[in-house]
Amino acid sequence: MLQFVVKRILWAIPIILVVSSITFLLMHSVPGGPFDAEKALPQAIIDNLNAKYHLDDPLWKQYVDYMWGFVRFDLGPSIAYRSRTVNDILSQQWPVTALLGMASFGVAVFFGIPLGVISAIKQNSLIDYGAMGISMLGLSIPNMAMGPFLIWIFALKLRWFPVATWGSPIHVVLPAITLGTAYMAMFARMTRASMLQVVREDYIQTARAKGVREIWVMLKHTLRNALIPVTTLAGPAFAGLMTGSMIVERIFAIPGIGKYYVSSVGNRDYPVIMATTLVFALAVLVMNILVDISYGILDPRIRYN
Amino acid sequence: MKKIWLLGLILTLLIGVLAVGQVKTLYWNLSTEPPSLDPPISTDTTSHQVIKSIFVGLTDYDDATMDVIPDFATTWEASEDGLTWTFHLRDDVYWTNGRKVTAHDVVYGTMRTLDPAVGSSYAFVLWVIEGAEAYNTETGTAADVKVWAEDDYTVKFGLKDPAGYFPAIAGMWVCDALPIEVVEEYGDAWTNAENIVTNGPYELGEWVHEDHLILYKSPTYYDVANVKIDQIYCYMIEEASTAMTMYEAGNLDSTAPPLEDMDRVKADPVLSAELTIAPDLCTYYYGFNNEKAPFDNPLVRKAFASAINRQDLIDYVLKGEQKPAQTFVCPGIFGYVDGVAEGIGYPYDPEAAQQFLADAGYPNGEGFPEVTLMHNTSEGHSKIAQFIGQSFMDTLNVTVNIVNQEWKVYLATCRENAPQIYRMGWCADYPDANNWVNEVFNSKSGSNYANYNSPDFDALIEQAARESDPAVRFDLYGQAETLMCDTDAAIAPIYFYTIVNLTKPYVVRTFAAIGGEHWQDWDILPH
Repeated sequence: MLQFVVKRILWAIPIILVVSSITFLLMHSVPGGPFDAEKALPQAIIDNLNAKYHLDDPLWKQYVDYMWGFVRFDLGPSIAYRSRTVNDILSQQWPVTALLGMASFGVAVFFGIPLGVISAIKQNSLIDYGAMGISMLGLSIPNMAMGPFLIWIFALKLRWFPVATWGSPIHVVLPAITLGTAYMAMFARMTRASMLQVVREDYIQTARAKGVREIWVMLKHTLRNALIPVTTLAGPAFAGLMTGSMIVERIFAIPGIGKYYVSSVGNRDYPVIMATTLVFALAVLVMNILVDISYGILDPRIRYN
Repeated sequence: MKKIWLLGLILTLLIGVLAVGQVKTLYWNLSTEPPSLDPPISTDTTSHQVIKSIFVGLTDYDDATMDVIPDFATTWEASEDGLTWTFHLRDDVYWTNGRKVTAHDVVYGTMRTLDPAVGSSYAFVLWVIEGAEAYNTETGTAADVKVWAEDDYTVKFGLKDPAGYFPAIAGMWVCDALPIEVVEEYGDAWTNAENIVTNGPYELGEWVHEDHLILYKSPTYYDVANVKIDQIYCYMIEEASTAMTMYEAGNLDSTAPPLEDMDRVKADPVLSAELTIAPDLCTYYYGFNNEKAPFDNPLVRKAFASAINRQDLIDYVLKGEQKPAQTFVCPGIFGYVDGVAEGIGYPYDPEAAQQFLADAGYPNGEGFPEVTLMHNTSEGHSKIAQFIGQSFMDTLNVTVNIVNQEWKVYLATCRENAPQIYRMGWCADYPDANNWVNEVFNSKSGSNYANYNSPDFDALIEQAARESDPAVRFDLYGQAETLMCDTDAAIAPIYFYTIVNLTKPYVVRTFAAIGGEHWQDWDILPH
């Protein structure tokens, strides 16, 4: 097990190097630079700015300097938000996104999996059709429609929740539902399909033959094994939620990191582009390792040697 | 009976206490996180709004007339040759750390803007100061920059040319006094909420990045007795429809309604009464690449400039009561000439447009090559381009391809090889035509994507930049506009912007067309 984890972590190094170098080359090959603006600056001013941010160094040196900073957790200055460093931005904005991501993941897991289980148990019943109908709706409505719709009903008409902004647990509810619904729907559909597959396995027949109560057959024997594909889905989903959603954060005016994934590219804010991309890459890597570890816990037949 | 009296007395007292103790708070939307509160470094309107309320400027601009008015400087005068400007400063301005603000702080602020190591984007507006360009471009020294404190309350600037517009430049953030000891101690981090020291009507209280920023009335401000609003709670809501919903829910005191809500706002009896449309100091224009065939022919440019139905565009697409523009400099700026009234530039006239095109050798558009009209990717610009493109095709019988590019890619395209027709806008940094015709369309300017190259035009605007007599300058700018927008038709100005705003009826406010609202003059009535 330990050997497996160490091997996976070592594999992460070349992956990060590839991701960082591709990102670095791509962002420098896109036309336009961080100091292009409607009011074109004199070349002398651009030279000053390039010198300040070391953008006049050869590209390979800029890359090496960046990666050397990265391993020391120094992610450099933000060029667009000149009074802040990338470390500041990540440390202040990322926890907000992480909290929203966890709440959304909670919505997805705590509603999605039971919905899938109930559907599977009551296959082809009205309950099943209802649950799957809800999940289909959740998958189909985009965030940019769901968010304003929830705001209109629950904030403007019923006045149960604030319209937008951040700061207290009550502010988390509407954005977490908006962001979590699609994942909830995916989990529900995946759990149902997987449960229906596992239920046909021989060991389920054996359990039933032994006289185990149906509820235990479902929850202990079927669900546990059915969760493997769900976990495979949950890993990248969690990584995605933890790195934010620009749309939901924008609609609800949430001070998260999501917008930086888009604005940094628009601003050609090179250090922020690198940092946000690498944070996402790291999140996916870590989640995939955790998912692989969880396979062994869920299914004793899986070994790591 | 006695009990009723007693109850009445208690209630009156309670209301009195509440009224006296009521903190007047303005709930405002900055629309985004201010990128920097460091005056020499800031470049955007959001930062400048906050900077304007926490720092006093050397001069200020009158909201109604755009005239340069006193702020830190009470009076100013130029020497006889116009080359030395002297500003006499107030002696009752204090930093929030208790120290008096002096002329030395103004010199320090100006020099910080020019310091090449600081990397100020706006340093170039100070190049009019003798020695400034050389120091800023590392070909000269700080000692040779002609800005000095004559005494604690007199600051002098020595200029290269007798620039009559210098008092307007002095009101910009690039000349703001800065607290030497604080900047030196904390470096770039001096504007962090825990370090910053300011001297304006408000001081920075709390700054939760990307979420909110709170400004408190500064007890050390020189005119604190007349500041009525105690605190300003600034949200940073980027999504206009969310801000609109918050305004309607009563969480914001003012907002800019999104375009898609304009019809509803105008039809709603409550919202329409809260709607104000005020002039903004910006011009929207289509530039022609004067070097690219067939737009190298002035007749072709005149044909296209005459084929834009500006009023219909405003009425049916923009809906914000913008003003049709036939010249570049917008109303409110020194040097503005009313092109529509004085017949400078080209109004919508399909017959004249067709005639110009025929005179250019393309009767009824025959043989005219396909035209590329480019704009940066945005729903608003796209709607305008669709409308005007259709107008070109219907009036001139030509084929127009509308292309859009991401903003920075678009800027690179315009800089390297501008398309035949490109969209651009310009907003005032300071209320003088030098900031417009000279900084944008001088043949040496980096913003002259039209490649407009007229020695006569350059001579006019450069002479105006060196001139100190306002009457002479005004006349020169009128001639320059006539040359660029009429004789040469180098660009087609389309409209002058407006500020479309909803404000709650209990807010007593002004409108700062140049940006930087004067919150210190506002009030909030009991509601």
